[in-house]
Amino acid sequence: MTETSSKETLLNAAVLRWMHDLAAQGIITTDSELNIVEWNHWMEEHTGKRVSEVIGKNLLDLFPELTARRLDRNYKWTLEGQVRVLSQALHGYLIAMPVVSPEHGYEQMQQAVRISPLNHDGKIIGTLTIIEDVTERVAREGELQAQVEARSRLLSSEKLARNDAERANRLKDEFLATISHELRNPLNAILGWAHMLRLGKLTPPNVDRAVETIYRNAKSQAQLVADLLDVSRIISGKLRLDVRPVDLLSIVNAAIDSIRPAADAKSIRLQTILDPAAGPISGDADRLQQIVWNLLTNAVKFTPKGGRVQVKVQRVDSHVEIVVTDSGVGISKEFLPYVFDRFRQADASTTRIHGGLGLGLSIVHQLVDLHGGSVSVHSDGEGKGASFTIILPFVGVVSTEKESEAVEQVHSDKINTFEGLPTLEGLKVLVVDDEADTRELIQEVLKDCGSEVILSRSAAEALEALEKYKPDILISDLGMPDEDGYSLISKIRALPSERGGHIPAAALTAYARAEDRMRVLRSGFQFHLPKPVDSAELVTVVASLAGRAYKS
Amino acid sequence: MKLTERQSDALSELINIAFARTGAALSELTGHRVLLNPPEVAVYRTEELRGALAKFVPGDVASIHQVFAGPVAGDALLLLNYEGAVHLTDLLTNGHNSSAYLDESAREVLTEVGNILLNACLGMFGNLLNVHVTFSVPRLHLETLDELLASITTDKGEKHYALVVYTAFQIRDSSVKGFLVIVLSVTSLDRLIQEVDAWEAKQSN
Repeated sequence: MTETSSKETLLNAAVLRWMHDLAAQGIITTDSELNIVEWNHWMEEHTGKRVSEVIGKNLLDLFPELTARRLDRNYKWTLEGQVRVLSQALHGYLIAMPVVSPEHGYEQMQQAVRISPLNHDGKIIGTLTIIEDVTERVAREGELQAQVEARSRLLSSEKLARNDAERANRLKDEFLATISHELRNPLNAILGWAHMLRLGKLTPPNVDRAVETIYRNAKSQAQLVADLLDVSRIISGKLRLDVRPVDLLSIVNAAIDSIRPAADAKSIRLQTILDPAAGPISGDADRLQQIVWNLLTNAVKFTPKGGRVQVKVQRVDSHVEIVVTDSGVGISKEFLPYVFDRFRQADASTTRIHGGLGLGLSIVHQLVDLHGGSVSVHSDGEGKGASFTIILPFVGVVSTEKESEAVEQVHSDKINTFEGLPTLEGLKVLVVDDEADTRELIQEVLKDCGSEVILSRSAAEALEALEKYKPDILISDLGMPDEDGYSLISKIRALPSERGGHIPAAALTAYARAEDRMRVLRSGFQFHLPKPVDSAELVTVVASLAGRAYKS
Repeated sequence: MKLTERQSDALSELINIAFARTGAALSELTGHRVLLNPPEVAVYRTEELRGALAKFVPGDVASIHQVFAGPVAGDALLLLNYEGAVHLTDLLTNGHNSSAYLDESAREVLTEVGNILLNACLGMFGNLLNVHVTFSVPRLHLETLDELLASITTDKGEKHYALVVYTAFQIRDSSVKGFLVIVLSVTSLDRLIQEVDAWEAKQSN
């Protein structure tokens, strides 16, 4: 060895010693017999064993736990030439040392260890063990993991809650749109006819008709409000039953009597099977009648012309069963579980045939509950009819009380004339609305101002009338059965100009929210007339639309 | 270079001994029964490796890489796809590490497992050849297959071959596919195959 190279070796050894003592890891060097040759400062600090105590001692003798935990094999394999890696996750630690930060809950310092053979001239002359304190890191990973898990749990539960809230919100929105439609429709007729009455220009028969229409629409609105109030009372728990012994059969008969005119109007056969033994039960007569009436109204509403509605009352053991079966539109399997939910109707789109708030069955459910009974529904699917079964507890009492309620019959067979608004002379106006009251009201107003009016009850009729009469202006309702106003205007706008494709058009609707208005204007109408329509506004809009038409 | 059926069978049998040792070691470490499915062995030229491995590891790969030196020298790797690596760690640590990524502790576990397996296989070859090989410290890499192949196949003057060993770890009703790749120079491989032939001849006598 030259002087320079031996000097270099000495320098290297000194540097190495410094580095080992400055290292933030434990470093143990042994010879090939596993006698300790080097024990760095970190090892002194963490084991409390001084260099002087350990140098020359055998590692396995000094730490018998290594053999007890079968970790000594790693040294055997290292002496055969292998490098060994001992992970914290599978071993915890190599040599027991106290933890630096006890707050992490570990009793021993957690360690990651590498044991390597030391080679010289192709021979293994010893081992090098490097121990890293990973307690902090492992604790941090654990926390991170817990956070990630907690966050993903939170996310999924938040997502569920958000979905629920969104669904509830959507139901509420749909309900508000429906309620605004249902409340405005009767109001439209009431305000329109009242306005004409106030002008005092109606002929006597038309005065009768006006009063009749107003009365009928006000009644229907009162029913809606009563339903809403019932629901709110039920929700707030303020609905009280006036419980007395009542004769169920007479209640059912009264309900049947009151629904009969509506059934007759649609040629629906009302069939009754009443078991005399079903007699007296204990309950609130008005509410029981409301239950039966709601079910019957529903059955008649959803049963097409010429159909059949059956009411069966029978005593079964200690309870009474009321079954209302119809041959109507039926209920889809998907909607069946929601039949008794508030504000639910199977079809919330504007193409709704049946109207109503969707509260009737919810009220039935609540009232039956209050009577200690139950209500269930069965349907084999759409188009296959439905059957509602109410079970009420039977109480052996006798009652002779009878309840009945008459329902006004309504005739609509008169057409009115009306005078007194600005002139629309020479204009042909096509009016499309599925409701006769609205149609006639608009007709009265427009005719009176000198325009010719063509009435259509549906989009299909309107398309025919458009070709046939070549009207100048279109006034169309939006919510109509089968085909709505949006569909009508898009079909018209697709037509060439000479077939009426550019006819100025106004939409008439009870859906009066801002987004409804936007949709109306985007879909091809020039104007949006919210119901109830003001006569003067209607005439002004028609005149304005005509002005545009003349200009183009 | 192609292995004959006998050579391939003999090599599989030898590796299976190493795998059995690895399985036993892992079972003892984890307290669960760990089995390594009987291996399938194939030899590829290094330039064919990409095509051979791509269908098994489409995405990122986790590899435990050890260089070995001595009379027989080369690179030894345990390859797992990323999800497989996460799953294997999960199984070995009792679901202690049930996250979707590999944290430092998980990487340590994989390094230890890879090291045990590579040591078992190369140790067995060393015994067979009666040579002494030395190992570098195992390193875990997470990278694409292309990056990995670039790091093991460049700067090799002599023609190289890769011994590819397919297997699957079976732990607690789950299975994680992986493979072992041993890249050898043609002389090292020739020597290995000669010894395998000799061992096979001795076995059949």
